[in-house]
Amino acid sequence: MNDAMSIPHLIMNASGVVQAVMLLLLIGSLLSWVVIFQRTFVMRRARKAHREFENRFWSGVDLNELYRETPAEQETQGTEHLFRAGFREFNRLLPKTRSPQAILDGVQRSMRVAWSREEDRLNLHLVFLATVASSSPYIGLFGTVWGIMGSFQSLSMAQQATLSTVAPWIAEALIATAMGLFAAIPAVIFYNRLSAESSRLLGKYEDFAEEFHSILHRNLQGRGESGEG
Amino acid sequence: MARQQRRVGYGIPALLAIGLHLGLLVISVLRFPSAESEPPTQSIVQATLVSTRTTTDQAQQASQPEASSPADQAAEQPATAEADDAEAQRQEAAEADRQAEAQAEAEAARERAAALEAARAAAEEAQRRKAEAEAAAERRQEAERQRQAEAEARRQREAEEAARRQREAERQAEAEARRQREAEEEARRQREAERQAEEEARRQREAEEAARRQREAERQAEEEARRQREAEEKRRQQAAAQRAAEAAQSSLERAIAGEAQAAANAEQAREAANGFINLVRRSVEQAWVIPPNVSDNTGALVAIRLGPSGAVFSASIARSSGNSAFDRAAVQAVESAAPFTELRELPAGIQQEYREFNLNFRPGDIR
Repeated sequence: MNDAMSIPHLIMNASGVVQAVMLLLLIGSLLSWVVIFQRTFVMRRARKAHREFENRFWSGVDLNELYRETPAEQETQGTEHLFRAGFREFNRLLPKTRSPQAILDGVQRSMRVAWSREEDRLNLHLVFLATVASSSPYIGLFGTVWGIMGSFQSLSMAQQATLSTVAPWIAEALIATAMGLFAAIPAVIFYNRLSAESSRLLGKYEDFAEEFHSILHRNLQGRGESGEG
Repeated sequence: MARQQRRVGYGIPALLAIGLHLGLLVISVLRFPSAESEPPTQSIVQATLVSTRTTTDQAQQASQPEASSPADQAAEQPATAEADDAEAQRQEAAEADRQAEAQAEAEAARERAAALEAARAAAEEAQRRKAEAEAAAERRQEAERQRQAEAEARRQREAEEAARRQREAERQAEAEARRQREAEEEARRQREAERQAEEEARRQREAEEAARRQREAERQAEEEARRQREAEEKRRQQAAAQRAAEAAQSSLERAIAGEAQAAANAEQAREAANGFINLVRRSVEQAWVIPPNVSDNTGALVAIRLGPSGAVFSASIARSSGNSAFDRAAVQAVESAAPFTELRELPAGIQQEYREFNLNFRPGDIR
């Protein structure tokens, strides 16, 4: 391998279209890695926050006290967000209606909204990873095809079709495919991993919402009996 | 609880991603130039052929002990006679003292050496005369012309040769008498050889070897006694030998010329044979397709038999390499390189020796 066939030299000497493709793929790879790192941190924090809040919730603390611990204007995430949305709705509806069914419906609705927001937050940018994963091989392939077209055009002008006349063209064209795969492979792997983690967390949120809902339901049942009595 | 609400920013992930890409770029830039320094693999076949050389060498070496063993016997008999001959021969021997190495020793030892060397030459003479007859006639005449300028001397020698043959018939009747006369001839031949400096030097070295052998032989007492008995006989026969001296002299000159010529012929033949060996080796090497995946230490020995025209009669594996593809490739190389028509250009005498030889095939070379 001589200097003319080294990878940086090949990239610098590639034709304009191939260079543009390679730049696009480089940007895609860069951004996908940014997303990978950012999502990994987000997932790790969400998992930790969920564990901490569940421990606290099931430690037997009074729910009113737990609700009052955090200022109302502060934005919360994960399980706590669900809890606060549901408990706020419960407290607001309680003085207004006597029907436990109406109260529970309202609580469930508000928790579903909160869950949906959490889902949106966790899956943010994961679509971008999926896009990079599926499209960058094709983009790289396009660059390769374009480069090989160029190599055959140059071959038609050459007097002698030797391997050394086409080899640099094909090598630089193949770099585009290599870069496409280089961007796509981590994106595919991490997309699968991160989306699995996200759906597992959302399942846990859903479980918590159901449990909280049953606690509120139990409270309302007791109140209804005492009210009747 | 407050730290849970802190959002994850994009700064650190972006830095990490850029760092990752830069690291990969640096690795790719650093790795690939270092891969350049790979030396190109070179697989040039180098071949040398040795087996034919060794067979001829062995043949030559085998002939020497044959020559030297009768020389030992012949040398023992003149050893005692030289005491009597010393007075007559010492005047001529004094000039011979110029070639010093052998004569540094005792004069008796030198005389014995001369006699021994001459005896050995006589034994070789018969052998060489056959080769001489086979050799081209003009080459012999050329050598003789080197030796003797005048043409009439040659004619005289031819006449004397007939006389000498007559005497040889007489000698066969009495074996001891002939040996005695041969000792005389050899003494004269020594004087003749002294005139030729280069021949003399070679003979002197051989004489030293013979003298050493002779000294070992002397230690044996019973041989010494036998020599004493033969001394008297020799003394009696010497008178008759003296008469034939002039005639024998010329025949000796002729014999020495033949000897020199035979040596020249042998040298020529060896050179031609070397040329032939090189040619065979080169053509086999070119025709050889080395199979892939052969380790360096496999080697096959192929025994080759050539016809008189140089065509290959048979090429068989004498020692297998264990790799059948390799063996087959070696035999095929020999077969496709055939025929070796250069065999016919070799001198007739040595063609026979080069019709059978072995080639050692190794991935690195042919031997």
